Amino acid sequence: MDPSGIFFTRYETDSALVRTRAQWLALALFGAALLLYPWLASPRLVAVANLMFVTAIVVVGLQITTGYAGQINLGQAAFMGVGAYGACVIEVKFGLPFWVGVPAGGVFAALAGWAFGLTAARIKGFYLALTTIAAQFLFVFVVLNLPSSWLGGVNGFSLQAARLGPIVFDSDRALYYLFLASVAVMVFGAFGIVRSRHGRAFVAVRDDDVAAGMMGIDVAGTKARAFVLGAFYAGVGGALWAYQIRFVSVDQFTLFNSIWFIAMMIVGGLGSIVGALIGTVLIRAIQETITSLGPDIVQLVPALGSDIVFASMNVFLGLVITGFLLLEPKGLMHRWNIFKAAYRLWPFPH
Amino acid sequence: MMIEFVNYALNGALLGLLYALVAMGFVVIYRASKVFNMAVGEMLVLGAFLVWWAVAASAMHPAVGIAAALAISVLVGLAIERLLFRRLIGESVFSMIMVTIGLLILMRGLVLLIWGPQERPFPAIISLTPIIIGDMIVPRPLAAGGLIAVVCAAGLHWFFNRSRTGLAMSAVAEDHQIALAMGISVRRSIAFAWALGGVLSVITSMVYLSGKSLTFLSSEIGFAALPVALLAGLESIAGLLLAGLIVGIVQGLTAAYIDPLIGGNAASVVPYLFMLVVLVVRPTGMFGWKRIERV
Repeated sequence: MDPSGIFFTRYETDSALVRTRAQWLALALFGAALLLYPWLASPRLVAVANLMFVTAIVVVGLQITTGYAGQINLGQAAFMGVGAYGACVIEVKFGLPFWVGVPAGGVFAALAGWAFGLTAARIKGFYLALTTIAAQFLFVFVVLNLPSSWLGGVNGFSLQAARLGPIVFDSDRALYYLFLASVAVMVFGAFGIVRSRHGRAFVAVRDDDVAAGMMGIDVAGTKARAFVLGAFYAGVGGALWAYQIRFVSVDQFTLFNSIWFIAMMIVGGLGSIVGALIGTVLIRAIQETITSLGPDIVQLVPALGSDIVFASMNVFLGLVITGFLLLEPKGLMHRWNIFKAAYRLWPFPH
Repeated sequence: MMIEFVNYALNGALLGLLYALVAMGFVVIYRASKVFNMAVGEMLVLGAFLVWWAVAASAMHPAVGIAAALAISVLVGLAIERLLFRRLIGESVFSMIMVTIGLLILMRGLVLLIWGPQERPFPAIISLTPIIIGDMIVPRPLAAGGLIAVVCAAGLHWFFNRSRTGLAMSAVAEDHQIALAMGISVRRSIAFAWALGGVLSVITSMVYLSGKSLTFLSSEIGFAALPVALLAGLESIAGLLLAGLIVGIVQGLTAAYIDPLIGGNAASVVPYLFMLVVLVVRPTGMFGWKRIERV
């Protein structure tokens, strides 16, 4: 809802993503803040921001599959892993630069997603959610059992820093700008997708797939497309992750990670791209705080032992997921929208 | 050669029945509450730690210790219903699955906080001397587990398909709102489901872990048993036995004959592949209910 006094007289302005001058100003300020961030924050915080960018791309993809198209995906980390390994293979085996490797990683992951999307055409609800877990097991099995000269097996894979002409992305600050640009492109793309014909088909299938089918939507194709898109995002995120860590192994992409991604999406709000971003930033920030405060707490109270960090991370994640589903299943974005509407309507209730 | 084959198949079948027993944790709770409980593995670990705590750490008499573990496990199940699922009656599939995943992680964290990550020797509740029939060697806990699985499946199958209370609970699994409209207490049904899940997790933990070592990672059997539950269909208890036998034998033979060839761990993914193939052909498993959807 727009504030009162704002009228659009042309279709283009009405359908634009950024619609008012105030929104343009806010976006420009936000962009400027993001550009300045690595010069103001400590190197550790820049690394954290990079991790947030990678995760944000993956969670936005999950938002498309699960939040918009309603297909529960418990294997997002596996798709991310496919992208990471894809980028490594392109770089190490074929010697191609990162700007080929990253999209190619996305395409590999999208192919894997397509395979699971096809099963979604027949399998529904509970059964589908549970079969996506199979992606996780198959991914680990395939990587570990292919000849180790192909994918590195248990030893994992290391790769060189990304290069673009004379620029080498080997510092966190350089990577920050690369990741920022990638996130901007991917998020802009996601906004486009969910506003398009396909995005509206996703929402229709999520709300009721029988009804959507009767309206003439190709339900099976839409579900497959949702998986392909979500997996593509995960693959791109995974490929960027590979260039950040420069080492890839299967234990970086566990079922546990997939569940973290879902938790981020729930906290931010299902069915909202901005929600996915907010959830990612918030949960990652809290994760980092627990990880960095953990050793101090252990030092203060040695009786707790060093396992407390991992244990309390689990308790925290469990409480976040159950708490949000019980108390605010629509996520923080929904709260924010309620607040915004109330603020704009004040002093009237409706 | 032949005797080896039979031996592998028999051990696989018994392991499959153990999976069926674990998978019963999924199906019993689903069949009485329409909640798919992903936290089955964690409940099993909790049950196991309770038994370990009562029998090994507090040195109670095994019978008293097991009774205490059962009682606490039932209380935990009731607490889960009271705190989480009472508020979720009539909610979407997504919420239900995600809450149980949240529960899975929460329970793992709590188990780690209370008992830590160390390995613990689990008391040999079921004697470990193997049963030897001719040339075949059968581990006694697995044999006992197979027997318990069959007895439990028969009892629960009768309960859910023949008894009045069980049929009322089946109505809850079909639709919360309709069940409420028919005067069935959905709350009581869900509470019963979780209490039963608590009992099953203690029993299963004793079969699975007797004489082995116990850590929080023992919960992985929950995901190993998942294909069995999906293969059978989420509503069928007797079907679990057949699905368990199929998965167990396929897995046992894969481990014996295919793994040495490829030098890898194919046995752990074969159940999943098998499940995917069956689900693509029959989307609700072998014996699951086929729901007719209306707009």
